Amino acid sequence: MIPMIVTLAVVAVLVATLVSVYNRLVRGRNSVDNAWAQIDVQLKRRHDLVPNLVETVKGYAAHERATLESVVAARSRAIGAQGPAEQAAAENMLSGALKSLFAVAEAYPALKASGNFAELQQELATTENRIAYSRQYYNDAVLTYNNAIQTVPANIVAGMTGFTPREYFRAPGEERGPVQVRF
Amino acid sequence: MVMVAWTAAAAVTGLWLLLLLALAAATRNPDVETGPATANLAPQSPAVVDLITGGWRLCDEAASATLLDLAARGVVGVEEIGPELSLVRMRRDPGGLLPYERLVYDHVRSLAVDGVVATGALAEGSRDLGRWWKSFRRKVIAEAREQGLSRPRWSRAHATLLTAAAALPAAVIGVAANISDKDHEAGVGAAVVSFAGLLALMGRLNGERGTAEGARAAAHWLGVRAHLGTTGRFAEQPAASVTIWGRHLAYAAALGLAPRAVTSLPVSTPADDSRAWSDYGGMWHVVHVRYPSRLLWGRPPGSAVMRGLAAGWFTGFPAWMVLVAASAFDLWPDGLVVPAALAVGLAVAGPPILFALSDLTGPVTVEGQVVRLRRFRDGGKGGENAKWTYWCAIDEGRAREVRAMCLSGELWEPLREGDRVRAVAGRRTGWIRRIEVVEGSRLRDAASYDDTGEHLMDAPENLGEVRILPDPDAHGPTDPDRTRPYRHRRRE
Repeated sequence: MIPMIVTLAVVAVLVATLVSVYNRLVRGRNSVDNAWAQIDVQLKRRHDLVPNLVETVKGYAAHERATLESVVAARSRAIGAQGPAEQAAAENMLSGALKSLFAVAEAYPALKASGNFAELQQELATTENRIAYSRQYYNDAVLTYNNAIQTVPANIVAGMTGFTPREYFRAPGEERGPVQVRF
Repeated sequence: MVMVAWTAAAAVTGLWLLLLLALAAATRNPDVETGPATANLAPQSPAVVDLITGGWRLCDEAASATLLDLAARGVVGVEEIGPELSLVRMRRDPGGLLPYERLVYDHVRSLAVDGVVATGALAEGSRDLGRWWKSFRRKVIAEAREQGLSRPRWSRAHATLLTAAAALPAAVIGVAANISDKDHEAGVGAAVVSFAGLLALMGRLNGERGTAEGARAAAHWLGVRAHLGTTGRFAEQPAASVTIWGRHLAYAAALGLAPRAVTSLPVSTPADDSRAWSDYGGMWHVVHVRYPSRLLWGRPPGSAVMRGLAAGWFTGFPAWMVLVAASAFDLWPDGLVVPAALAVGLAVAGPPILFALSDLTGPVTVEGQVVRLRRFRDGGKGGENAKWTYWCAIDEGRAREVRAMCLSGELWEPLREGDRVRAVAGRRTGWIRRIEVVEGSRLRDAASYDDTGEHLMDAPENLGEVRILPDPDAHGPTDPDRTRPYRHRRRE
């Protein structure tokens, strides 16, 4: 009788531990998903601003076709990107294209003086800042989650139930430096 | 004779207390009845509303409500990035802010990096929180008085009457003390002490009281509270929802209806010991601070060696005695008594000594930002004899968790939270040997920001003394003695 009670107690403790660890991992995974959704919101906001910007620039510098097309192409690629790594690469390309566009704008005083252009520039700078914070928030969530699924004993539960590590959303060259939003 | 004198003293003191109670009753706050529920927002600011609807006592919500009001008016923006991260963004240079609004705005501005500060980081900064709150409260009260909503409880006439009347029981107590103790002539001392005690009691009962106009305004705002309480579900709204709710959320916060928004904007609450916000690296982020046990941590190498030797002795010697006893009963071989006792002593003494020697020969340079400066009581009696352990947590930008290290009081005093520092420290003993400030915290060199804002206005009448501000370099405002005891909910 006593061995059976002991066995049952051990099994009960094991099951409770498994359930607790599993629930913790699910919470971590949901946090990562939620953080990614926040990035997605900010990226979408950025993508939505680009056509307005292109239209505004076109009004003053229509013959800068190559630059405008590269921005549009980079935006399309960013919209179609899947997963953090691909998304990060596409967003970096879009950032580069936007920088070229703003460099072109320097040569057009009338464009620089345009209120609409200045507003869009400001809005983009704000969005970049939000993306930076969203990225930090997401990467922190990924770090916590990845640590959780790779450390003992949670890695056993993670392995049994299909929890896999998530990718970080990295922007090359900005890991430790201050955020400088300069368009 | 002695009995008669003391009876007379008690009687006169009792009469004075009766006078005090009578005046207190006569000057009590007017009764405020909740007005009809209404959505009509009167012209008072949320901070003033907090004052007049809280029995003329300002609560913690007032500062957060003021920030929400600034957000509703477009001076700053509140943006939600995630469930645990929102940002306050500076929007435009505000003109014509009220003094207490300017105080809140300046605090936010002083923390902003690229125009942005995380809401959780609003508790950070090297201001003296007690002084800041006092200044904020004074300014709100001044505004309420200017609008005719509040006034001091004791008028000049009341104060003069009570002070003059207090002289009588003090004098009688003095005479009674003289009669009962002729040898020591304690009368003068007893009179002075009792006079001071009575005045202190009188001061204790002083404060703000509402005017008739204030009572009418409070009744109206309680009506607004009743209305807001049935609409909007403000208790669950985050601070970022100010974008939707506008000033209604700010007033809901001031009326105690929006606890979630208020707690997410810790403008006037002390920073957490263990959860710090750092902007090292350019973006605000959370850093968890641990204060390890001082068994093998936070001691200078010399002290660690001595403690190690002492610990080795106090474990090795008892082990030797036990083993001698065991060998007497043939439970332990005679030849192994000394070696085993030595092994026990060395095992205990070894780690701290090795750590200390390792740190002495190879200290490391730590560069980063001071995120927490704390001192905790470590034995000794109170006052001058108190012993303290001084802690300094430095965010090096590598991890989200840092272990605070200890240092001497002399090194600790001039530091401020937010300073960028370079320290020479032992990684294993957690002891900082040298530390230099590479770049001061923003407040240190900011001539435009004064955490009291006292320069903006004269101290209003009867709001307590105007403090002579100490030299900040002589006594850092991060002194926990002055910042930590601040209670979360202030009901003066």
